[in-house]
Amino acid sequence: MAYTLLKQNLHRVAVIASTLLSLLAPGPGRSAILRSGRSVPSLSPSLPAAVKLPHTTVNTVILQNGLRALFAENHDAPVVSVEVWYHVGSKDELPGKTGFAHLFEHLMFEGTKNLAPEEFSDYVVRSGGLDNAYTTEDATVFWETTPSSYLPVSLWLEADRMRNLQITEQVFKTEREVVKEERRERFDNQPYGTVIETLYEHAFNAHPYRHMTIGSMEDVDRASLDDIRDFYNTYYVPNNVTLVVVGDFDRAQAQALVEKYFGPLAPGAQPLGRDARKIPVEPPQTAKRVVKVTQNAALPAFVEGYHMPADGLPDAYPLRLAAKILSEGESSRIYRRLVYEKQIAVQAVSTGNFTEDPNLFFVFAVMNQGHTPAEGETEVEAELERLKSEMVPPQELEKAKNQILRDFILSRQSDESRGEELGYAAVILKDPNLLDAELDRFLAVTPEDIQRVAKKYFVPENLTVVEVYPTKSGTGDSGLGVRGEEGK
Amino acid sequence: MTLGTLCARDYPPDVPAPKPVTLPTPAVHILPNGLRVVAIERHSLPVVTLRLVVKAGAEADPPELPGAAQFVAGLLDEGTAGRSAQEIAQAIDQVGGAIQTGAEWDNSFVELSVLTDHSELAFDLVSDMIIRPAFAPAEVERGRKQTLSSLEIMREDPAYLADAVFNRVELSGTPYGHPADGTLESIRRLSVGDLRNFHARYYLPSNAILAVVGDISADEAFRRAEKFFGNWQGSAESDPPARRSVPSPPVSRDLSRRVVVIDMPEAVQTEIRIGNSGIERDSPDYYALTVANQILGGPATNRLFKALRSQHGLAYGASSDLVCHETAGSWEAKTSTRTLETLKSVQLVLEQMKRLRDHPIADWELDATRGYLNGHMALEFETSEGIATQVLDLLIHSLPLDYWSRFPERVRDLSARDVWNTARARLDPDRAVIVMVGNVAGFRKELKKLGPVRIIPVGRVDLASADLERQ
Repeated sequence: MAYTLLKQNLHRVAVIASTLLSLLAPGPGRSAILRSGRSVPSLSPSLPAAVKLPHTTVNTVILQNGLRALFAENHDAPVVSVEVWYHVGSKDELPGKTGFAHLFEHLMFEGTKNLAPEEFSDYVVRSGGLDNAYTTEDATVFWETTPSSYLPVSLWLEADRMRNLQITEQVFKTEREVVKEERRERFDNQPYGTVIETLYEHAFNAHPYRHMTIGSMEDVDRASLDDIRDFYNTYYVPNNVTLVVVGDFDRAQAQALVEKYFGPLAPGAQPLGRDARKIPVEPPQTAKRVVKVTQNAALPAFVEGYHMPADGLPDAYPLRLAAKILSEGESSRIYRRLVYEKQIAVQAVSTGNFTEDPNLFFVFAVMNQGHTPAEGETEVEAELERLKSEMVPPQELEKAKNQILRDFILSRQSDESRGEELGYAAVILKDPNLLDAELDRFLAVTPEDIQRVAKKYFVPENLTVVEVYPTKSGTGDSGLGVRGEEGK
Repeated sequence: MTLGTLCARDYPPDVPAPKPVTLPTPAVHILPNGLRVVAIERHSLPVVTLRLVVKAGAEADPPELPGAAQFVAGLLDEGTAGRSAQEIAQAIDQVGGAIQTGAEWDNSFVELSVLTDHSELAFDLVSDMIIRPAFAPAEVERGRKQTLSSLEIMREDPAYLADAVFNRVELSGTPYGHPADGTLESIRRLSVGDLRNFHARYYLPSNAILAVVGDISADEAFRRAEKFFGNWQGSAESDPPARRSVPSPPVSRDLSRRVVVIDMPEAVQTEIRIGNSGIERDSPDYYALTVANQILGGPATNRLFKALRSQHGLAYGASSDLVCHETAGSWEAKTSTRTLETLKSVQLVLEQMKRLRDHPIADWELDATRGYLNGHMALEFETSEGIATQVLDLLIHSLPLDYWSRFPERVRDLSARDVWNTARARLDPDRAVIVMVGNVAGFRKELKKLGPVRIIPVGRVDLASADLERQ
């Protein structure tokens, strides 16, 4: 079922900005699939009466060893998705050990007492299913989506690697090289691929969000098998796990399987509460920070980051709506001003990187030839000021809520994305019921709320800007004095 | 983590075979003007998606104007006879709609998803965009500027360049051997008249398919299609415009079957593409090559991934694609690796191609691949979007609508020898096109192992020119 994916080229530039933002977290261990950002649920107050919202019934079981299992049946298609959320991410890494959580994600495919390296995925794939994993600042998530009859295999495989992992020195060395290739492919060799890393290094001084989940080459090189073993024994324990099962299954049977395979696993010995993790708090920023970099880029660009609160807090909801008002769709404010009317930018996007701890609200733009980052920043500033000085008209707020409602519904299309939303609600928002109930929080947002958060967060002393200037034009020779025919 | 030897190992439980997938049967209705309407009902979510496909894409670009099809499609939502670009954007955004327009090889499309209550608006907007696009000069200039900037960014992207150069060389002499995104030069030259001509020639009801998927009954879908598309001019009696038989401008003879290196001194990785010509979509070899491609570089067994990544740690990803257009195709392996290991990676890819050519396929590999392809259909047909993609693919290539229902049987009937024989006829590592985009200073000495090599500095690449280099 191979298709030409020309469309990807077509939209490649259109997605550069959003891709960049999704690059914050390293992707799946197995192959290059870029995740899109998390979609955000909401409910429009003007919701047409006939629209029946998808509802998810969630059943929770907590095993004696502390593992929490969430079950959501959906029999629309003969498919089942399993997600295992380990509550450990790059914010749990110490300086000098960046990239560990993600490196560890890779190792989880590399063999157990019972399975040879990568045999894990062979079992999933021969069913017609797919498996992968991703690591974020806050969590490491493993998933299998298969025809429904394979649920017992997925659960057995996940329980097996939760306790029986067995990594040889040789496999470890090879996988370190793979992770370095991943960093090169997804960041270092991409246009604008390291801009976000630069922004975070300057926007954060104390909190570990300062470093990228992919980590630095040096730290990945320094990682030892002993470090890795400690990491496994501390965080890869049932009491740090939320298991999500969504799709076509019988709940009694699924629950019995979970108890059978995961029940015997011993809980971890280390405390894993917030206090035990000793994650430093970022002190408030007091002055605007501007960083200028020159890069081998075709066009100038800039990315702005304003500190904002953690996801799930009251201010997160008006901020998410503000991002839609600013840049979702061609009628949005920043798109319209920078891209459509003034034609100074080829792409302009605003979005929040909402996470468990306070993170950044971004505006990113790639300028057209002949236009400077400063011009773009001035225009963005004007739009942010407008959010502070004028109330958003009711119809425009309704538009943003409708866009969020669409995201909510579309995220229920597949068991896999529904499972991801459920895991996120449970682990990051700390309440699985928010999968559906979070809608009410959006419903309650008023124009005054948006004005209030704009005034509170979109202020210069809260801002870090990275400006990108091209080193050269695209022409000229390679600098090596070589061209044309060679060989023979 | 335990340390020890593999002993007393446990095995995953045995499970029953997957339940058979019930493939949806699309309802088809042809309007008097020839427009084919396909309705697929899915009432589980309150969403309706319209995808209108015109059976002419980048392969229909005039030879001197690569990028025309994409330029036309990109302007469909930028103004019609009765609505400005901003009015269209406002109408879609206000109801939380999601719009996409574009051109691929063999088709151009508009896709709009809305909540159920707004489905009438979706028919209204999509028909307006397809039948009456304005191509207003101001919007054309705006689109031109955006496309030029996009092309400049993509020229710095090694993966994009590797794909574009491979496509240009491998499919030279077919209608698919030109840059579908256009070039800086062709985008500057495309006129409003060129765009209108392309639209007038190919955007005809008899050359189009409308798929309506989601929370709407087939009857209602057909009724609305009649109402909004019924007045689209063109008749069912007139044949669809002949497929463009004019090939893309060929590359010079010394470039075909050759090694091409794009020198990008700043690159820290080399993007590698290696492949041969493939097959057209309706070829009888499609099933066997689909299986062979899975074995070489698809999720099922992926020999390339295992060799380059698992065994040698040389790459994050390694895979192969069987690309099947209407009248031509390619079969290519792709990976990227750190500069100094470029030649080692190229040789490992060639080795895997040779292995598939010279050694029989094991029965377990065939079994694993059958298991993957058949079981995977449950995932492919899980969402409305997935169903629409599969059904439209069949209609675009004039394949029967029960194609996927018969697919498992076709794959089951193939023997390991059938697959091997078909693959051998196509795989020719000794004459493969090899494209590398990277910092040639890091692997120049070893390049001669590959025979004659053409090196082009990135700043001089011109995808339209016969020798790929700016004159």
